[in-house]
Amino acid sequence: MRNPLADVTIPILDDLIESDYVRSLIVGTVGVLGALLVFGALFPDSVAGDLSGIVFSSSTAASTSRLAAPIVLAGLGGIFAEKSGVINIGLEGLLIISAFASVYVASVVGIGNAVLGIPAIWVGFLAGVAASTALAGVFGVVCIEFKADQIIAGLAVWLIALGLAPFMSTVFFGGVNTPNLGARVSWRYSAVMVVVATFASWWALNRTAFGKHLRAAGENPKALDTVGVSVSKVRHAGVLLSGVLSGVGGSALALSIGQFVGSGETMVQGKGFIAIVAYLFGNYNPVGTLGAGVLFAGLDAVQIRLQQLGYAVPDTLVQTIPYVVVIVVLALVGRTRLPEAAGEHYETED
Amino acid sequence: MSRSDAGADGGSDPDRVPSIARRVVAPFVDRSVAERLLISVAAILLSIVVGFVIVLISGRIAQCSTAAWTMPLTGLGFCYDPVEVYVVLFNGALGYPFAVGEPGLFDPNWTPFNLSFGLTLSETTLLIFTGLSVAVAFRAGLFNIGTQGQLVVGALATALTVLAAAPFLPEGPAAGVVLIVVGTLAGAVGGGFWGAIPGALKAYADANEVITTIMLNFIAANIAYVLVLEVFRAEGSSVVATRYVPEHAQYLPWFFPESSDFALLALLVGLGFIGGLYYLVEHTSFGYDLRTSGVQAAAAKYGGVNAKATTVRAMTLSGAVGGVGGSVWVLMSEGRWMASVPALGFDGITVSILAGNNPLGVLPAAFLFGILKGGALEIGFRTDVPTQLVGVLRGLIILFVAMPEFFRMAGRFMGMGSSGPGGPGGSASTAEETGDDSAAVGGGEADA
Repeated sequence: MRNPLADVTIPILDDLIESDYVRSLIVGTVGVLGALLVFGALFPDSVAGDLSGIVFSSSTAASTSRLAAPIVLAGLGGIFAEKSGVINIGLEGLLIISAFASVYVASVVGIGNAVLGIPAIWVGFLAGVAASTALAGVFGVVCIEFKADQIIAGLAVWLIALGLAPFMSTVFFGGVNTPNLGARVSWRYSAVMVVVATFASWWALNRTAFGKHLRAAGENPKALDTVGVSVSKVRHAGVLLSGVLSGVGGSALALSIGQFVGSGETMVQGKGFIAIVAYLFGNYNPVGTLGAGVLFAGLDAVQIRLQQLGYAVPDTLVQTIPYVVVIVVLALVGRTRLPEAAGEHYETED
Repeated sequence: MSRSDAGADGGSDPDRVPSIARRVVAPFVDRSVAERLLISVAAILLSIVVGFVIVLISGRIAQCSTAAWTMPLTGLGFCYDPVEVYVVLFNGALGYPFAVGEPGLFDPNWTPFNLSFGLTLSETTLLIFTGLSVAVAFRAGLFNIGTQGQLVVGALATALTVLAAAPFLPEGPAAGVVLIVVGTLAGAVGGGFWGAIPGALKAYADANEVITTIMLNFIAANIAYVLVLEVFRAEGSSVVATRYVPEHAQYLPWFFPESSDFALLALLVGLGFIGGLYYLVEHTSFGYDLRTSGVQAAAAKYGGVNAKATTVRAMTLSGAVGGVGGSVWVLMSEGRWMASVPALGFDGITVSILAGNNPLGVLPAAFLFGILKGGALEIGFRTDVPTQLVGVLRGLIILFVAMPEFFRMAGRFMGMGSSGPGGPGGSASTAEETGDDSAAVGGGEADA
């Protein structure tokens, strides 16, 4: 199946993205949005008019960036882990634990107080990142040192966080939901963090020695070992980075509302799994992951606004779209390919 | 405990000397089965220990007026009593057969047909099906995370089929039997269909089944929700649910209280499935194809196994068993399909992993998780400890089962450090005694 969008040349993007697939995704998305803008401007009273009003409104941008932050950031983390050869299916758990830890620490410090000159909410933010990184560190040790099955250990990370966060919330606050902090992080910070993290990840993966080592650890660990670089160290670094990035995402999610909700599947609600979808959809390219994450989050945000305007959109069906898209993409295009040695243990030969 | 002593011997020279325990055990069970068993037991004990520490720490942090437990020697007070939690968890899940703090070991008034034990067995029954579903796929080298979705689809198929067929049959026990059989078949077809999709995608489009099954879980939950919300919702119902299936088409709770949602017959059906699937996997040519493609896909292909067809069949079978689990959920527990289906499918993964993906191991593993579920309710009634503790324990058990290498290292360390292992160390040593072969098991797991 030849992709007609693959041949379109874009001056800046061509340099950034080698993959035809990701490029055509971006061209397609920009094209659809452009067409919507044109139709909306031409026929302001139609559905297209309403839709373009919604899509290009600042409140949609705000809720999109709020919803996209955990997806994109955890997705970027997933790229680092998987490129290094460790499939991290526990991203969901990392998001949950950081969402809870950030709110908990912010409330312990107390809004209005500061530690070492850092306002409480940002102390909470850092604590969320630290909690997620610590859990990722445990996951890394279990997978790399104790040679655990990565999928099972990843599921365990998810299940532990799913139990631990509501448990701790009940211990500290007497219920699975924490009280609202009464302060929040503006969506603009989330948006900036997402964009910065995306391009920093792209740079780290493609333009640094560390990025080369990371890819080698996932594709051909023996070669990396031969040139004298420790495969396990590189893999630990990849897994820890997935913890840091997911921690930023989870903290941003909880602190953008100012509360942790721990009932059912918690406030994270499968965003960690959508993150896996996003980076597969973006074919392990950070820029593609950003595109996919914003697309999925944007769909959700637009759907929420449409409901508010009185259009009877079955929200559950709109939320199903990303999942169906992934299956169709995997089935028809089959572009996503796991790194050669992902999921396998590497034994150093001394 | 002669086994532990033997383990210490084996630990001192793990490479050559076959331990006494292994020589005793080997003729009776497949060795890798024995290893898995030991690792599972060690994992359970270790997670209980870690859970103990978590309860202790959170009991120190939590606020309360009087201490529930005071640590000996130090005099530190704790809000939660970590010993009582486990006593309530295991004793309560069985309906308090053991008399704690009273003379005599057993409570003479205890009968097995009590509410708590019924709830525990109800959960056990459901987990047998979902655990088997995951185990069958796992044996074929397929990681079916989609049992949850297959259960949701199977449950909806069962509910709708029974509701549609019921008016054509006269009320009575005979019609009930027919409806239960038809409903179970519908569940199997629905779940099998939902399982066949990722199987076909894996076989013919090389789409990773871990990803597709996760996606199909969300899709199943969402589509079923919308279908029931828009089309099949019971009139006047405040929740998104279908009508109740007729009383005579549900499993009857024979000896147990009605509110326990448990039917002995359903458990017997589950036991039948365990036996049937064990026979199918271990003693038929289809089972042989299944296992060889799970262990060594390339060799299976070379040996004439149609790998693609086996993949699709295995996933269909796995989905069908998950779908039957859904039908039991409808016909035994709820009496209708309703949104917010419990995470039985995900728990099935944990059951199967703990069972070493062996159909026979699913029974004790499902019973353990049934106890955790039944015990969680009792913890909520009788202690101040948040019931989410059980969720943490579940995650810890899975984490520890996933890392046999850890127990091997711990066993080696304990074997060298002391000759009389005790507590969790003893279990670590027992894992060690057969440890040198489980490297192969760990490797096989990674390939799967």
